[in-house]
Amino acid sequence: MNDNDTISNLNCKLGMKSILPIFKCLNSLERNVESCKIFTRSDKCKVVIQFFCRHGIKRTHNVCFQESQPLQVIFEKSTCSNTLMIQPRVLAEAIVLFTSSQEEVTLAVTPFNVCIKSSNEESMDLTSSVHSEMFVGPDEFDFFQIGVDTEITFCFKELKGMLIFSEATHAPISIHFDFPGKPMALSIDDMLLEANFILATLADEPSRASSPQSLCLSQKRKRSDLIRSNSKAGKNVTSKALEHISRKAAPKRLCPNETLTDISALENCGSPPLKRVSGDVGEVPASSVRRAEEVLASPCLRKFSCMFFGAVSSDQHFSHPFDSLATASDSEEDVNYGSFSTF
Amino acid sequence: MKFRAKIVDAACLNHFTRVSNMIAKLAKTCTLRISPDKLNFILSDKLASGGVSMWCELEQENFFSEFQMEGISAANNEIYLELTSENLSRALKTAQNARALKIKLTNKHYPCLTVSIELLSVSSSSRIVTHDIPVKVIPRRLWKDLQEPTVPDSDVSIYLPVLKTMKSVVEKMKNISNHLIIEANLNGELNLKIETELVCVTTHFKDLGNPPLASENASQARNPEQMAEVHIDIRKLLQFLAGQQANPTKAVCNIVNNKIVHFDLLHEDVSLQYFIPALS
Repeated sequence: MNDNDTISNLNCKLGMKSILPIFKCLNSLERNVESCKIFTRSDKCKVVIQFFCRHGIKRTHNVCFQESQPLQVIFEKSTCSNTLMIQPRVLAEAIVLFTSSQEEVTLAVTPFNVCIKSSNEESMDLTSSVHSEMFVGPDEFDFFQIGVDTEITFCFKELKGMLIFSEATHAPISIHFDFPGKPMALSIDDMLLEANFILATLADEPSRASSPQSLCLSQKRKRSDLIRSNSKAGKNVTSKALEHISRKAAPKRLCPNETLTDISALENCGSPPLKRVSGDVGEVPASSVRRAEEVLASPCLRKFSCMFFGAVSSDQHFSHPFDSLATASDSEEDVNYGSFSTF
Repeated sequence: MKFRAKIVDAACLNHFTRVSNMIAKLAKTCTLRISPDKLNFILSDKLASGGVSMWCELEQENFFSEFQMEGISAANNEIYLELTSENLSRALKTAQNARALKIKLTNKHYPCLTVSIELLSVSSSSRIVTHDIPVKVIPRRLWKDLQEPTVPDSDVSIYLPVLKTMKSVVEKMKNISNHLIIEANLNGELNLKIETELVCVTTHFKDLGNPPLASENASQARNPEQMAEVHIDIRKLLQFLAGQQANPTKAVCNIVNNKIVHFDLLHEDVSLQYFIPALS
């Protein structure tokens, strides 16, 4: 809150290594801490977390933050033709089927059953890995709506991470998806928080086309800040606007910078053209650098995912429509773009 | 070649899972031999395994409610498959509360052992889990290397102590030296020794008992106090001991002086033989 008592939003990043130790010992926190106050001091670029403990003890942690310019993603969960809601426990039982080295899994749905199975890239040695699959009937889901029979393939690690996260909330997980290539959403809607994981899915077959790119551009309602000069990010259209803390799943695994823009186009496109890279999937073909038509397939999909948090607070306020959600790259160019809402 | 088998009994399934876990701990890759009456898990004494060999045998009718197989030919009615042991044990681990488990040999682009599990679930519909474990069919000409090893004429035969105790002793000894001497006599005494420049450590097990000897002549000729010993790689012994989850029904150790140590275990109805050669 600034001096004029108007509410403004701060988009920043905090290091996980700084935050985690503060909230690590849940038992001792529950026993000793009476209340907790979190506020920011923008003059010092710090977030201050104060624990008011028993016996008059006050513990203060100052954590530095970095301003961040998030990526913007358009994704409407409600427009997805397939929606499943399932208890985390059931998904967890499916997860144990796969080894930790499993990179991708495929979710195949028909109106009669749902199958989750291991997905192997063509380049892999098929004769050495176990292929596992599990069929689950519709009655195991809390909500089952399948509009179109489809099979989507996405990153297993992200699913596992999200599942571990959801175990804390005990709320059912909703899966929203359409056809391969279109992003899918895993969401949790609890009393206290709403979390959305948007994952990219593998497209069915490679297609080089300029039309998907132009389609994307025409679908966007508003242009906004450029992350890269040759692509544009769309506006966020979610109406449920609350305090947003955003983070990127694994910054270390970020795709090469040039393909970031392609990713945002990817997210926004219906079926982005993807090329399956056979052989060493870590390589980026030099020609794919600046053209959205030649977006890298698997490596990017595995590396890119966003997570959005919405914390429900009693005094809800609708944020500025230009609020963005996803975090962007760590590149210095970000600083030049966009308007930061600072305290 | 055909193979299909089914387990419906929970106890049998758990037992089979335990056997598979044990095999996974003993050998990374092993051979599964399927014959009309038995299943064998085999590790032959190639250089790759460091000279260690293993022969595990179970009667199929103790486990499977249905069992059908057709070998390579009528004359050679057996199937030899090479597989990664961990794949099988991991697949079976997901069958904890299964209503039924089916295993069959399939060919989905390449030969597989397909494990199909029908899980009980809270709702009315049951969940079906399938694992396709890739296997290699071993050709007939290589079968001669995979036959049951002949039990050597041992100098000393002795019952083993509680394996858990033995394992914890060997685990600690491994920190001191890789070279272990295992020795025993016909007086029920077994010693585990390690010797380094700085220290010698010996653990003595007494009153173990010796199984009755096959031939009377041998027992008369040998001094009961005299020890027969083998120098072995401690890590191989440790791997063997680590694979034993429960204490076996019967555990015998046969020592051929300076040649080989042979462990003969019986876990309920599953027999396991493990051979560790002497260090050269």
